[in-house]
Amino acid sequence: MSSSGDGRNVDPSLGVLEGEGAEQATPSDRVVTKGGPPLEVWDRMPSSDGGGRDDPTYFDRPVLKRPVWKWYVPAYFAVGGAAGAAAALGAAAQLADRRGLDGLIRRCRWVAAAGGAVGTVLLIADLGKPGRFLNMLRVVRPSSPMNVGSWVLAIVAPAAAGSAALSRPGGITGFAGDLSGLMSGAAGLPLAGYTAVLVANTAVPVWQGARRTAPPVFVASAMSAAASLLQLMKLTDREERIVRRFAVMGAAADLASEFALEREAGRVERVAKSLHEGRSGALLTASKSLIAGSLVMNLAPGRWRWKRVLAGILGALGAVAVKFGIMEAGTASAADPRATFHQQRAGLGGAEATGRPAVAAPPN
Amino acid sequence: MSVFESERTGLPQREEATPGSGRVGFFTDTTVCIGCKACEVACKEWNQLPDDGMFFTGMSYDNTVALGASTWRHVEFIERPVPLGGQITGAGNFSWLLMSDVCKHCQRAGCLENCPTGAIVRTEFDTVYVQPDVCNGCGYCIVGCPFGVIDRREEDGRAWKCTMCYDRLKDDMTPACAKACPTDSIQFGDLDQLQEAARIRLQTLHERGVSEAYLYGVDQANQPGTEGLNAFFLLVDRPEVYNLPPDPVVPSKKVGAAWASMVLAAAGMAAAAFAAVLAGRDEKPQ
Repeated sequence: MSSSGDGRNVDPSLGVLEGEGAEQATPSDRVVTKGGPPLEVWDRMPSSDGGGRDDPTYFDRPVLKRPVWKWYVPAYFAVGGAAGAAAALGAAAQLADRRGLDGLIRRCRWVAAAGGAVGTVLLIADLGKPGRFLNMLRVVRPSSPMNVGSWVLAIVAPAAAGSAALSRPGGITGFAGDLSGLMSGAAGLPLAGYTAVLVANTAVPVWQGARRTAPPVFVASAMSAAASLLQLMKLTDREERIVRRFAVMGAAADLASEFALEREAGRVERVAKSLHEGRSGALLTASKSLIAGSLVMNLAPGRWRWKRVLAGILGALGAVAVKFGIMEAGTASAADPRATFHQQRAGLGGAEATGRPAVAAPPN
Repeated sequence: MSVFESERTGLPQREEATPGSGRVGFFTDTTVCIGCKACEVACKEWNQLPDDGMFFTGMSYDNTVALGASTWRHVEFIERPVPLGGQITGAGNFSWLLMSDVCKHCQRAGCLENCPTGAIVRTEFDTVYVQPDVCNGCGYCIVGCPFGVIDRREEDGRAWKCTMCYDRLKDDMTPACAKACPTDSIQFGDLDQLQEAARIRLQTLHERGVSEAYLYGVDQANQPGTEGLNAFFLLVDRPEVYNLPPDPVVPSKKVGAAWASMVLAAAGMAAAAFAAVLAGRDEKPQ
């Protein structure tokens, strides 16, 4: 045990480390039993069949691995979504009717540029090997929403930064800025939504079970987030009305699609459990209250600045809470073996995609 | 060992098997597993994997808990309050189920399809392999696996799983776990021959009264969601008992609906952005 201290017990004078797993790094000074087993303390005979014969598990151990993502990833979902929605709004303003909207367009571009930059940093920070972040662009792989999203972000982030830097209208630089603004706006649409596809394309029961409604939740909360950030800034009266309309549509769509998501996941009771209970349930409830609050503030009569700022703060917090809530729900759902078992026994596993369930029981 | 094998399967011994399709796999026959954990040890030793903590779990004799980044074989100990078919026990209704779990090397592998860097590849042996020099530790394979096999080792930062002893395969050798298995519960070989051997074994068991035996993931017809597993199993209870999903599916088989929904949502956002700008066009001055 003392020969190398890396948990391999290979004496370097007798054996060479060149196996398939030899490269796997371990801290050299670790204490082997540090922290104890990764298990809760048993409160019943662990060998007894707790779920009974009708609903068995293997000692209640998870069947899936939990996502290893840290807070950076749900934070990126929120930041990247806001960037995409802001870029889209800026491009729409630029195309539809840009007279008198230069200020709004510039602010949209800066929100998109900041979101793209911060989002990129968050994603790189979450990697196990941050130095290898460029490997994301090593291949084009449509089967991996993460790869598709990396390419989308690789378009939006520089385009938005360019459009923001060149946001003074007129001249060749203004033209280049406008072009970048349109490019980031067009690519901003998938940027706000691909993250929902990314979580849907997993084995995590609640994410897979809500794959049709997760994209509208993500896109609508991105709209709410972008509009909320803009509401915190200085805007002309007309710009303010535009942003408010965008915020109202985003918040209303978010509330409707969060409700739809609960219904879609709720086809199997156990799958929806993580949407209602624990930290994820609390976060999602908070998100609905916050976004409803911002919707009320935006619809209420009166034109005070504090009202707009309050709506912005509530909307931004709500959009962040949605993304963290969905993330936490996935983590809780992956840790619950019965969520997977019940979903697949209800015909929502392979059978849903192929029309034929797997052989999963002895023949009668 | 080889005598029993040829008696049981009626097929040529493993060493004599000529590689046919070039596709290899594991057939894990759980009915002959004795829970010795030789496969776990052989795997750790051959692949020079670090330990992942030494502790007592209270989960029967299973102190390994689960497959993980540095545990590529895992023996499960299931204490069942029911006897096995045709079995008479002296200790009331009880039976042991033992199973050596491993990466399934799915025909449609969730980890491989999710990998954004191309680090996870299908090898010339039809196995699924993570290239450690390419993996950047994004963690997307981990949630893509319907069996909860692949994992990231925190200190290392990369995703790891069973390679089916890729280095040994290249030298025409049997993977370490199968080589070490004293009862041939783990059989390695050409996939077509293994499937044939598994079907013969299943028939034998049914004839002997173990009517609850069935094959898990033997081919596409058996498990359409994954289109079959290169490492498949013979089980005698529901998959849930072995911590296996009853109807696993590669996530990409279902993701079309999510993309379609995303396109609609994005179109909705574009429409909302234009509507927000255009709705106030008349109220311009100030």
